[in-house]
Amino acid sequence: MSSRGTKQKKGNVTNEQEEEDQPLQAVLIADSFNRRFFPISKDQPRALLPLANVAMIDYTLEFLTSTGVQETFVFCCWMSNKIKDHLLNSKWCRPTSPNVVHIITSDLYRSLGDVLRDVDAKTLVRNDFILVYGDVVSNIDVSQALQEHRHRRKVDKNISVMTMVFKESSPGHKSRCEEDDVIVAMDSKSKRVLHYQKTQGLKKLQFPMNIFQHGSDEFEIRHDLLDCHISICSPQVAELFTDNFDYQTRNDFVRGILVNEEILGNQIHLYVTNEGYGARVSNLQMYDSVSSDLVRRWVYPLTPEANFTDQRGQGCAHSRHNVYRGAGVSLGHGSQMEENVLIGRDTSIGANCHISNSIIGNYCTIGDNVVLDRAYIWNNVHISNKVKIHQSVVCDGVLVKEAVLLNKQCVLAYNVVIGPNMSLPEGTVVSMHHPEEEEDDDDDEFLSDDQVVGNSKDKTKQKAFNPAEVGSEGKGYIWKASLDEAEDEELAQCIWGLVLNPDPDSDSESEASDGSQDMGSRSVSPEMDDVKVFQLEVLGTLQRGEEENIGCDNLVLEINSLKYAYNITLKEVMQILTKVVLEYPFQQQGTKLSSSQYTVLLLPLLKKWSPVFKNYIKRAQDHLDCLSAVEELFLEQETHQTAMVKVLMNMYQLEILEEDAILKWFSAGATTDKSRQLRKNQGLQKFIQWLKEAEDESSEEGE
Amino acid sequence: ENYHISWQDSRNRSETTLNNMPGADKETDLSERIEAFLADLKRGGSGTGPLRGSGEMARETTALLRRITAQARWSSAGDLMEIIRNEGRRMTAAQPSETTVGNMVRRVLKIIREEYARSRGSSEETDQQESLHKLLTSGGLSEENFRQHFASLKANVIEAINELLTELEGTTDNIAMQALEHIHSNEVIMTIGRSRTVEAFLKDAARKRKFHVIVAECAPFCQGHEMATSLSKAGIETTVIADAAIFAVMSRVNKVIIGTQTVLANGGLRAVNGTHTLALAAKHHSTPLIVCAPMFKLSPQFPNEEEIFHKFVSPHEVLPFTEGEILSKVNVHCPVFDYVPPELITLFISNIGGNAPSYIYRLMSELYHPEDHEL
Repeated sequence: MSSRGTKQKKGNVTNEQEEEDQPLQAVLIADSFNRRFFPISKDQPRALLPLANVAMIDYTLEFLTSTGVQETFVFCCWMSNKIKDHLLNSKWCRPTSPNVVHIITSDLYRSLGDVLRDVDAKTLVRNDFILVYGDVVSNIDVSQALQEHRHRRKVDKNISVMTMVFKESSPGHKSRCEEDDVIVAMDSKSKRVLHYQKTQGLKKLQFPMNIFQHGSDEFEIRHDLLDCHISICSPQVAELFTDNFDYQTRNDFVRGILVNEEILGNQIHLYVTNEGYGARVSNLQMYDSVSSDLVRRWVYPLTPEANFTDQRGQGCAHSRHNVYRGAGVSLGHGSQMEENVLIGRDTSIGANCHISNSIIGNYCTIGDNVVLDRAYIWNNVHISNKVKIHQSVVCDGVLVKEAVLLNKQCVLAYNVVIGPNMSLPEGTVVSMHHPEEEEDDDDDEFLSDDQVVGNSKDKTKQKAFNPAEVGSEGKGYIWKASLDEAEDEELAQCIWGLVLNPDPDSDSESEASDGSQDMGSRSVSPEMDDVKVFQLEVLGTLQRGEEENIGCDNLVLEINSLKYAYNITLKEVMQILTKVVLEYPFQQQGTKLSSSQYTVLLLPLLKKWSPVFKNYIKRAQDHLDCLSAVEELFLEQETHQTAMVKVLMNMYQLEILEEDAILKWFSAGATTDKSRQLRKNQGLQKFIQWLKEAEDESSEEGE
Repeated sequence: ENYHISWQDSRNRSETTLNNMPGADKETDLSERIEAFLADLKRGGSGTGPLRGSGEMARETTALLRRITAQARWSSAGDLMEIIRNEGRRMTAAQPSETTVGNMVRRVLKIIREEYARSRGSSEETDQQESLHKLLTSGGLSEENFRQHFASLKANVIEAINELLTELEGTTDNIAMQALEHIHSNEVIMTIGRSRTVEAFLKDAARKRKFHVIVAECAPFCQGHEMATSLSKAGIETTVIADAAIFAVMSRVNKVIIGTQTVLANGGLRAVNGTHTLALAAKHHSTPLIVCAPMFKLSPQFPNEEEIFHKFVSPHEVLPFTEGEILSKVNVHCPVFDYVPPELITLFISNIGGNAPSYIYRLMSELYHPEDHEL
């Protein structure tokens, strides 16, 4: 039986913990650093939003405590006072709590990176720590992962910096957040992450070959993983964030570590579990999934009736078909609670209602003939007769008047009044905040929340409600996410999460990336732009170098700094450099050059910049990558293929490329018809022949 | 930089207070222990959480109650009973399915009553149950009576709780000792899942006799597999069958020996899922059904208290989370317990001997005071 197995493991861990002697620490980030839950999170920070009638942060703290964490640092930024009040009144701050909670607030945190830099500055962590967000719901026993992590760190001193916890679940599982969908390549034996990429709906993905060429001989490429957003970090993680001030998110960090693996020697590992539950509530789609998983008892023992927060009156009774009833719930005649229903304390429900897959908070009143399906109704909500709600969120203090129909994915934010007699179209978000005020208080949003609330109240009074939008007696404004937000790096800023259906858009995107194929490890979409900009910058640098006669050492310096600025891998630098140099004549003189003119222009440049090339082309793999970049370019410039031989010859003579690499490339590199065609070029074949003979001669001489 | 830190280090705070008054430290320590125990209970009862088996649970509870008796502030038996009752209520609420905890609380309450009565030099406690009149009138009076202060009461109660702990230590052995009276040579015994008591019982019999054990695997948790491995390691001839094969195999079985999670007040069982099937099959074939249950599993609970009777755990074992898409289209339930009515049970073997289900009521009244049935 599984549970017994884990128990034995636990026993071992406690032994090891005794050896370690230090309390296990955790860093909990009670801020999402995005506006995903706006306008709901305008009034209440995300960590305090109720999930099955319990604040999200309580689930995270319970997870940490049950996993044996003894000291937790909670970092708050947005509405930190509310989070602090909540925690001070919770069981976590009672003197008997086994997990000591420190609350650290600052208005200056803008990302995960800022928090970890602060952790480093204050030297809060002394040992391995667990890093989670305040909206993670989990019951995974991470002690096994912790043990593996510690073992790895003992064996190779400080090589492994992070162990990410992933849960096995096949694609299509509704608790998999589509935005977080990742493809991971890892070493099966050491569990080391070799490649990590968000799929973002793409159908074609590329892996750099070099990741499979060292280490053990077994690799796994996995798409059946759900990111639990739980990471076990070494203290170096905080230092690395300090060293690399451009790291903002964990994604940046993971990419950075993987790219610089050769330089810094740090590694990231994976812990894959198929037991337990772990998910992050990153958008309303996930809110829906995680809530329903909670009610369906997937997170046992964190079930609604367990009342693990130990709050008076919060307990409820569980009966068949996962129906939970709090204390003082009254149910009218003929009302049905079909399945997966949670009803909070002192809520009264009228007659002939039909409720399924829904969660209703405390102190709500619900009228007669109401239909609720996948409705998430928070506290103090009044719903009048004949209302129908499908897959929507209704926040605290909302009043829904008679005969209102909420279609799918509607959100009624705090204190809104809707109706009577109307239907809200799919995806409507109604809030007491006017969407325009959003821009106004953009700047002061990080000031104290009282002020923001005060501001907004003044403003809302000034604007009239539109009865066509919220009904004749309604109060509230239709909320539209401002446009500049949508352009923000990820399109997926909308509250319900982007539904990444395989639409033509994403297809073309993946093809575009195919076109510019560079076999690189570069992951697609957001980074595409960086690569382009980088290429332009390199071109600019070389032009300046040519005009102002800058030394090669300085060029290398400039290119290196660009590399860090745009987060470009070494390999990509080399490939882009090759491409830029070879295209340089076209760039200067136009594309109508003849092959001979082209070579005349190019060869002096090659000679001049050969130290730059040599700086980047060192290992055998680099040579091959450079050659493939050359090949790619000449495949595009078909008319100039005769020039290719001269270029290669020149590069060989300048000792940029080695003959072994050229021969290897020639014999093994052909993958497409075109490149095979290319290799049939007479000049090229002669060159290869000559190389081979030269090699034979030299080897004979050697003997 | 305008960082603002608030340190909530309760430990530091409690350390400073302890220097001033040593009594406060004791109380913090006690309440920390109680909270830790409650948290353990909430994270799952026996078999799934940090606390294994109900025997361990019973001992843990009793040890904690002893600590409360020793360290909490009380001056009379009435105070102490009130404290224990309060904590007991919280403990049972933390994990209603774990009836052992409530049982141990009731046992300790009974001990306090007896010790108080002995200190007063009367045997009133035992008389009280005999007379219907006293039962009816006792309500208001008895609470009054516990107000008297006795210096020796604390030591006596702790002494009696120690005796109870010793009794708990020996339960499994006491039950196993009776094995040779019930298991004969060349018999075929059937059991289901894994019960530590049954395991010890069978192993004890195997020292002298040869017999065959058929273990129903008890899906979806399949503790039966562990049971079978353990038995075969002890040299017992063992066969594992699927739960669905119970009826088919029953005709060959001489005796069914099972464990249980709780013995209910009516003599029925709350046992692991699948036990009812097994009991019905045994009844159909007139095979005797023997239940190995230590006395601490005896609970004054009746089977009609539906809400706390069932325990549903994560559906993971039934349909794994890894299945993906299908999970959003189906409802999966995973209940843990079955109810077995008393008429299907032939014999209970407890640490104090064998009893028929119809005698359970009598044992119950010996163990618990009627006023404590409801904590």
